[in-house]
Amino acid sequence: MKERIESVQAEALERIAGIADMKALEDARVGILGKKGSLTQVQQGMRDVPKEEKPAVGALLNEARAAITAALENRRNELQQQLDAAAVAGVDFTMPGATLPTGGLHPISIVRDEAVRILRRMGFTLSDGPEIEDEWHCFDALNTPDDHPARNEKDTFYFDSGKLLRTQTSTVQARTMEKQAPPVRIICPGSAFRRDAIDATHLSAFNQIEGLYVDKNVSVGDLKGTLEYMLKALFGSDTAVRFRPHFFPFTEPSFEIDVLLQAAGQAPRWIEIAGCGMVNPAVFEAIDRETGKQLYSGCTGFAFGIGLERLAMIRWGIRDIRLLIENDVRFLAQFQ
Amino acid sequence: MNVSLNWLSSYIDLEGLGTQEMADMLTFAGIEVEGIQERGVTTDLVVVAQVMEKTPVEGSDHLNVCMVDAGEGSLRQIVCGAQNYKVGDKVPCALPGAVLPGGWEIKDGKLRGVESRGMLCSASELGLPDKEHGLWILPQDYAVGTPVRSFVPTDTIFELEITPNRPDLLSHWGMARELAGITGRNLKQDPAEQPTAAIQTCPAGDYITLSAPEICPFYTATRISGVKIGPSPAWLADRLVSIGLRPINNVVDITNYCLFELGHPLHAFDAAKLTGGLNIRRAAEGESFTSLMNEQYSLTPEDIVISDASGAALALGGVMGGLDSGVTESTTDIVLESAWFLRSNIRFTSRRLALGSDSSYRFERGTSPWNVLRAAARAIELILECAGGTAEPVMVGGQAPCLVPEENATNATVLEQGTEGKIYYALDQVQLDWKELDVMTNASIPHLEAARILRRLGLREIDGKGTWDCPPWRLDLKRSCDLLEEVVRVYGIDNIPATNTSIYVEESAYDRASDYRMALSRKLAGAGFWEAQTFKLIAAESIDPTIASVEHALPIKPLMEGDIIRVSLPISEDHSTLRPSLAPGLISVAARNINQGLEVLRFFECGRVFRNTGGGKGKDIENEVLGIFMAGKLNPASWADTRPGEAHFEHLRAVLDILVPKAEITLNPSKQARKTAAVGADILINNQACGYVARIALASCRALGLPMESYYAELDLRKLQQVATAPFKAAELPQFPGSDRDASLDVPADTRNADIVKAIQAAKQKLLVSCRLKDVFCDPSGEKLAADRKAMTYTFLYRDAKKTLTAPEVDAAHKQVLDTLAAKVKNLKFR
Repeated sequence: MKERIESVQAEALERIAGIADMKALEDARVGILGKKGSLTQVQQGMRDVPKEEKPAVGALLNEARAAITAALENRRNELQQQLDAAAVAGVDFTMPGATLPTGGLHPISIVRDEAVRILRRMGFTLSDGPEIEDEWHCFDALNTPDDHPARNEKDTFYFDSGKLLRTQTSTVQARTMEKQAPPVRIICPGSAFRRDAIDATHLSAFNQIEGLYVDKNVSVGDLKGTLEYMLKALFGSDTAVRFRPHFFPFTEPSFEIDVLLQAAGQAPRWIEIAGCGMVNPAVFEAIDRETGKQLYSGCTGFAFGIGLERLAMIRWGIRDIRLLIENDVRFLAQFQ
Repeated sequence: MNVSLNWLSSYIDLEGLGTQEMADMLTFAGIEVEGIQERGVTTDLVVVAQVMEKTPVEGSDHLNVCMVDAGEGSLRQIVCGAQNYKVGDKVPCALPGAVLPGGWEIKDGKLRGVESRGMLCSASELGLPDKEHGLWILPQDYAVGTPVRSFVPTDTIFELEITPNRPDLLSHWGMARELAGITGRNLKQDPAEQPTAAIQTCPAGDYITLSAPEICPFYTATRISGVKIGPSPAWLADRLVSIGLRPINNVVDITNYCLFELGHPLHAFDAAKLTGGLNIRRAAEGESFTSLMNEQYSLTPEDIVISDASGAALALGGVMGGLDSGVTESTTDIVLESAWFLRSNIRFTSRRLALGSDSSYRFERGTSPWNVLRAAARAIELILECAGGTAEPVMVGGQAPCLVPEENATNATVLEQGTEGKIYYALDQVQLDWKELDVMTNASIPHLEAARILRRLGLREIDGKGTWDCPPWRLDLKRSCDLLEEVVRVYGIDNIPATNTSIYVEESAYDRASDYRMALSRKLAGAGFWEAQTFKLIAAESIDPTIASVEHALPIKPLMEGDIIRVSLPISEDHSTLRPSLAPGLISVAARNINQGLEVLRFFECGRVFRNTGGGKGKDIENEVLGIFMAGKLNPASWADTRPGEAHFEHLRAVLDILVPKAEITLNPSKQARKTAAVGADILINNQACGYVARIALASCRALGLPMESYYAELDLRKLQQVATAPFKAAELPQFPGSDRDASLDVPADTRNADIVKAIQAAKQKLLVSCRLKDVFCDPSGEKLAADRKAMTYTFLYRDAKKTLTAPEVDAAHKQVLDTLAAKVKNLKFR
C-alpha cells in the first residue's frame, strides 16, 4: 500500500511537471484526484489496510493528496503567468492611435473668454446691446460731432431705416447707463462694423471688448490700475504697459495703451493693444438729458476697448486677420 | 504730416534732443510718430568723385567697371550698375567704412568677380529726395574728395499722425509751439508776428461779396503787383522738398510754405485772369468746375466757390484752385486769398468729390480765424522778398467768426488785428474746476504745477478764480475737462499712481449667458465639433455656391418677404446682408474644408442672427442661436478603423440629446419649406419650439461638393440655456432591481417611432421606467420579412420603487403595454 501511494504520487508529480496547458492540467487533476483518479483508486484500498496501519497510511495518503494539490496549484499559477505574459507580449505601444473626431474652440472665443474671466474676477459684469443701432447710441450719446467722418455712409454701414451697424461696442455704455443708475461696472464683448475693405489687417466686421466703470470719484489712477492689472493678467505678470495720450470723442483725457512685446529673437517693441480714457462729461450729460434723470451728474468714470482679433493675432503671431474668418480646420486645429 | 527737424529748429531750440527722445516726447504728447527718416549723410566717407574711365563688365548687360578719382591721389576701381552717367561726371562716392542711411555699411567686395572698392551713389541712397533716375550727378565745380556732407545738410523727417482734435499741430510753427509747451523750452520768433503787426488792412468794400456768409463769413484778398514769377530761392525750395513737396514757382511755393509753416491755407490768383471783384458763393446745382489738376467736377449748392464778375467758378473754396485762374510764369499781378470756411462744408465737398488737398485737410479739421491775417501777412512778406512787387493793403471782407459760445462772448478777451477794417477775435474762456482735477488724479498733480502747464500751453488765467483764456489757436479747448486733459497729458500719466478700486457687482443675465455659451461650446468641441466664427455680413444671393448667401439660410422660423436686413451701401455684394441664419456661414465653412480634403465635417457656431419683422418696416430682431453642421465620416480613418461609418441623421440627433440630456426632444416634420432643406423638422424641447433641423437639399450638396447626407440644426441659445441650466435636485438611486422585457414589433414600413412611443405612453403603465429602441430590421428582398414591413425591437424596463417585482407582476405590466400598443398602432403584429 505504502509503495503504491508513493508510486502514484511520484507518477502524478512527474505528469504535472510535464503539463503545458490548462486543459491538460485539468485532465490531470481529474485523472489523479477525480472520482476515478489514480490516487482516489489507491485510497479505496484503505478498506483492506489493517486497522493498526490505517493512521500511518491515512497520513501518507493525505500527504500525497496535499503534495499533488499543491503541485497542481503551482503548475496552474506557472501556466497562468505564461499565458498572461504571452497575452501582452505582442503589444506595440509605438503603434499610432485610432482616431476620434476632434474639435475645438475658435481662437477668438478663447481670447474673449480669457479676457472676460479676468475682468469678471475684477468685479466687472457682462452687459450687451444690439448690433443694429441708432445714431443716438452710436454717436450722439458718445459726443461724436454731427460732421464726424464716422457718421458717413462711406465709413459706416447704414440701413435704409436710418439705423446702422454699430461702429464700436461703446454703444453698450449708453445702453447700460440709460437703464441703470451708477455705479456701473460692465464689460461687453461683441461685434462692431466699419466699412473697410477686407485685407490682411482689416475686417469690416470685427470683435471688441468694451469696459466701463462709473461711480463717484473714479480717477485716472483707477483707469491705470485696472488696465495694468488686466493686461498683466492677459500677457504675463512682467508685462510692461504704457499709456499714450490720444483722442476719442467719448473720453477725455484719452489714451492708447501699448504693451511691450518680447518675442523670442526679436527686439522688444511696443504694440498698441487698447484705447481708453476718462468718460467725457458730455456723455453723462447726454444720458441724463435722454433719461430726464440726473443720475450721472457728478459722476466720473473710465472706459476702454480692446480688439479681440488684435489680441489673438499678437498672442499667436497670426499675420493675416482673414484666417480668423475663414475657419479652415488646418488653422483651427492649432488651438485645440 | 511730415515735419522737418531743421525747419522746426528755426522756431525752437532743440539742441541736445536725440531723435528717439524727441519721438518719445511727441508720442507721450499724443502725437503718433509713424516713421522717422534720417536724411543726408553724417559721415566724411562719402566724397565727391569724378568718373575717369568706364568699361562694361564682361557677361553683364548693365554693370560697368569705373576708375574714379576720389581725391586720394590714385584711382579707385568701383563697379556700378547705374546708366545715367558718363566719363567726366562728378558723383558722390561712398568709400569702404561709410555707413549710409538705413545702417548700410559699404565694404570692399566683388561684383561678378570684379573687385569693387566703394559705391557710387544716387541721391536716394544718401537719404535725399531723388532728383534723377540713377547716380546723383553733381555740379562740375565741386572739388573731388570734398565730403558730401559739407554741401548736403542732414535732416530728420518725422512722419506724424495728428489726431483730429488738434488741427493746430498741422504746421511747423504749431508743432514748435506744442514742443515748447511740453518741454518748457523757449520759442524763437513767431514768424508771423512782425509781418502781421506791420500789415495794412482796409475794408474790402464791394471788391469782396460774401454771398454765403454761413459758410464763408470772412475772406481777405491782397493785390500784389509787379511780381516776378520764377523759381523759389534754394532755402525755400529745400524746405518744401524736405517734407515731400515739389517746388513749382516762387508765389505758389510761398503759399504752400505758409501752409506748412503756420497751418493756414492760402491761394494766389493771377489778377489778370480775374474780372472785377470776388464773389464767394454757393455753387449752382450741377455747376461745372475744372481744377488746376485739369479734372472736371460737377458741383452742388453745398460746395462753395470763389467767382468773379464773370460768374465763372475760379476756385473750389478751401479745397483747390481752378485751372484757368492760377499763377503762371507770365503772371505779374496776383490776388492773394486768405479766408475762413466752415469745416463741415469743406469736408462734405472734399469727400463727395473724393478730392482732398493739404488745404481741405486743414479746413475740414477746423482752422482758427485768428490765423487768416497772420498767414496773409507772412505770405506777403515772403512774396515781396522773393518775387518783388508792391502790395496793397489787405482787403478784409466780413469779419472773423466768433467761435465763443454766446454766454461767454460778452466777457471774452478780444484780440485785434489790422489797421483799418480791423479784425476782432474773441478768446474762449474756460472755468477750470480744481476739484475735478483732484478727483481725476487722486490729487496727485499740484495745482501750481497744473497752472504752469496751462500757461506753457498758451492759456492765461484772468481772474485768479480758475477762469482761463484759451489761446486763439486752440479751438479744441472748450470745457473744464479739456483743460484737465491738457494737464494730465503734459504732466504725464506715468506720474499718476495706479489705484484699483473694485466694487461689488451682481452677476448679470449676460454673465450667465456667457457661461452657458462657453460650457456648451466646450461640450461640442469635446464631441468633435470645430467652432467656427463666420462673417455676419453675407451675400443676398451668389452664383458661387461656396459664398455664404441668404439662399442657404435654414433659420428656426422660415424667412418671409422683407425679413432680410440689407445695408444701404455694401462694400461688395458678397457682404451685403446681415445673416438671418448661421447655416450659410457654416455650409460655406464645410465646403471650404471639404476642398481641403477634410472627411469629418462637424462645425458649430454660436452667434447672432438678424431679421426684420414686418417686411422691413418692423423691428430689427437680433437672436443668439447655435448652428450645428454635420456630414461625412464619423471619425477619421486609421489602421484601427479603416472604414469609418458615415454620419446619418441619428448621429446629429445624438448631439441634440447631449445638449439637453434631461429634456424631452420632439421633432415635428416642418410644414414650412426652406430652400436649402431637402426635409426639415421643427425641434421642440419640453414641448417648446426651440429650433429647426434639416437634411440639406441634395442639389445644394452636389453644387458644394458636400456629402449627400449633410445635416444642419439651428437652435435658440436662450431657450437651450433655460432648459439646460434649470435648477434640479439629484434623484435618489433605486433601492430595488428592475426587470427587462423585450418586444419585437412587426409594423408597416411607414410607421414612425413617435407613433409607437405615443402608444406606449398611452398605456400609462406606472411600473414602466423606460423603453429603448434596440433594433430595427428591414428586408427589401422580402425573405425574412415582407418588404413593406419593418421589425422594431424595444426593451422595456419595469421597476417598483418600493419592492422587488415578481415575474408575474412584470409580465402583467408588460402585457398591458403590449395590449395598448396592439390597440393603438395600426397593423401591428408581434414577432
